[in-house]
Amino acid sequence: MDDKRRRFEAQVLPHLDAAYSFARWLAPSPADADDVLQEAALRAFRAFDALRISDVKSWLFAIVRNCHFTALKQRQRRSQVPLPEEHDAVDGEAMIADTPDPEAVSIRLDEARTLDHLMQALPAEYREVLILREIEDLSYREIASVIEAPIGTVMSRLARARTLLKGRWLETVEGAPRAVR
Amino acid sequence: MLCAESLRVQAYFDGEVDAVSAVEIERHLERCTECRELHQHLKRTRTALRRDLGYFQVPPALAARVRRMLDEEPVTAGARRAWRSLPLLGRPYWRGAFSGVGLSAVAAALALFLWSPLHTDAVVEDLTSAHLRSLMSSHLIDVVSSDRHTVKPWFAGHTDVSPAVADFDPQGYKLIGGRADYVAHQRSAVLVYQHGAHLIDVFSWAADARAAGGREVTRNGYRLLFWRAGDLEYCAVSDTGRDELRSLARLIQGAQ
Repeated sequence: MDDKRRRFEAQVLPHLDAAYSFARWLAPSPADADDVLQEAALRAFRAFDALRISDVKSWLFAIVRNCHFTALKQRQRRSQVPLPEEHDAVDGEAMIADTPDPEAVSIRLDEARTLDHLMQALPAEYREVLILREIEDLSYREIASVIEAPIGTVMSRLARARTLLKGRWLETVEGAPRAVR
Repeated sequence: MLCAESLRVQAYFDGEVDAVSAVEIERHLERCTECRELHQHLKRTRTALRRDLGYFQVPPALAARVRRMLDEEPVTAGARRAWRSLPLLGRPYWRGAFSGVGLSAVAAALALFLWSPLHTDAVVEDLTSAHLRSLMSSHLIDVVSSDRHTVKPWFAGHTDVSPAVADFDPQGYKLIGGRADYVAHQRSAVLVYQHGAHLIDVFSWAADARAAGGREVTRNGYRLLFWRAGDLEYCAVSDTGRDELRSLARLIQGAQ
């Protein structure tokens, strides 16, 4: 294994799970996410030599996102846009299960499914900032670099995303919109 | 409807404000009911999202495909060209974008490897020497079988633990047998897999309170990968690459 490959394995591949997770949230189906990740890994590898990267994770995420949009455009051009498949985040075998209290599991599972579906139903530009902030724990600056937008946009999109999610959650779970406790 | 401070409250919640602003916002939160509710809501949502949303791992087949693809890449050709085609370069916000990297990079690293002195050197020594001994002597396998229904009951009589036993021959990891070995003062169960020309020992023993998974160690040219499942601690030991070891670990975790 040559030096570039070794450095790539050490610096970039540790983020591959995170990148895949992000791809799963972006792409309309698991199979599309597979393709996106593969393409992103290749592009990342080719670009890897050209520069010193100070924030590998954001850099890789930005590539994943670009690959996703490229794939999306290609699909649209072929006008073969598949309906979003139901993500199997809850039942999926690849999910890292963490359910310490068995008694609460069945109730929680319903909530988790609902939350999962609500996230899927959010417009893509809101979903991605929420995932990057809440799940991947990226800072505003890092999110800005991933989505290629100013920090102000990140902040307003995050606020909008959170408001949207809250409204839909209240509608779904508690029947009607009302003020939060 | 929204308080003019709501964006700052959000930034405060996201840890994006300096100490002076933080004090201001905390004062504001004491006065403003609306922002207090917003702050509460942000906390609740984060907790729910982090608890309930699926986090995906790269499926082993996909990881293998990526690696094959990288194997086929020429070493240097095309690097610059590909980079220039990425639309991130030359944007002013990109340049300053990495000053706040520290924390999340650390968090990401932590999520992948729990580097802590949890595995005493004694355990690592136990595992490495047990693996070496098995390779050098005839004590490679106590029970020769690729049938988990043979291996599992054998463990019941000869070791202190009863791990899940599965064969992954179709995925390239053939179960060839089981063995008992002392690790951490216990009779641990060892599953022996063959992967190409390599042998992989998968030790399992009763985890103590300090045990944690996710650690990788190299010792004398052998790689040790630890993980935890239920009340058992596992360690795969081999001279294969880390990815081969990880793939097997994932297969075993998936079968449990």
